[in-house]
Amino acid sequence: MWTYEKRLQFPVNIKTPCPKTAQLIISQFGGPDGELAASMRYLSQRYSMPCKEIGGLLTDIGTEELAHLEIICAMIFQLTKNLTPEQAKTAGFDAYYIDHTTALWPQAAGGIPFNACEFQSKGDAITDLHEDLAAEQKARTTYENLLRVIDNPEVKEPLRFLREREVVHYQRFGEALEHVKARLDSKNFYYFNPEFDKQFLK
Amino acid sequence: MDKREQMLQKINEISFTVNDLTLYLDTHPTDANALTAFSQAANERKNLLEAYAKEFEPLTINCVCPDTNNQTGSHTSYPGKKHFTWVDGPIPWDNQGGVL
Repeated sequence: MWTYEKRLQFPVNIKTPCPKTAQLIISQFGGPDGELAASMRYLSQRYSMPCKEIGGLLTDIGTEELAHLEIICAMIFQLTKNLTPEQAKTAGFDAYYIDHTTALWPQAAGGIPFNACEFQSKGDAITDLHEDLAAEQKARTTYENLLRVIDNPEVKEPLRFLREREVVHYQRFGEALEHVKARLDSKNFYYFNPEFDKQFLK
Repeated sequence: MDKREQMLQKINEISFTVNDLTLYLDTHPTDANALTAFSQAANERKNLLEAYAKEFEPLTINCVCPDTNNQTGSHTSYPGKKHFTWVDGPIPWDNQGGVL
């Protein structure tokens, strides 16, 4: 189960509102490669993962991703504080403002609402871990895209931290994949799916 | 940086060490160096959380102790009154407490 700690994993202190930046960063909240997708992906996959240590890893990384989406939401909250109606009309943010004012609602920067089609939980250890490796790379690229176009150092600092965590998670999933492969038939990793073909498990 | 910010900064740093070591130990559970580092960091984190909760607001529900929490009366709506100290402290995503 989950407990909550009343602090952000990395501090966010943004002094100047900027709805345009908020509208870009929101992809890391509700976008296809964002932190909500990541946490739902890992927290869903963990149940059927046949190696309990990897189920544990998925739980721990999935939990950290929840802490990351909290950082992203804190950034958006601070970027849209005390907006004037003029600022709310900023191109890009105006449509979001109409439907949500300055509340947080998970969607991509382009407007597509968060949905479960943005991740998979396939029920095959090799497949799911490849999904996870790809997810971390997609998130890294998204952070890099953001870092290129955003100038405010108060915004860039937490984004840099989050990008580095994606690289570390990628490492851990690589190790998890090797761990799983070591427990499969070394002549043919695809011989059976350890999550379903129980008759092959010793 | 005032005292509360300084202590929180230390808690953030040691907690990050614990987080990162947790993921590493998930895939390397018998790494002796990592195990030692983890024990040290976890212990220091525990002490820092307890010390912080005495002077300021409790950061986890396990640190909630209305009789001894927040002796500096920081960020509380009930200074001087016995109350559920879990509601003390600024909301994590904002330095202010809201406007109502």
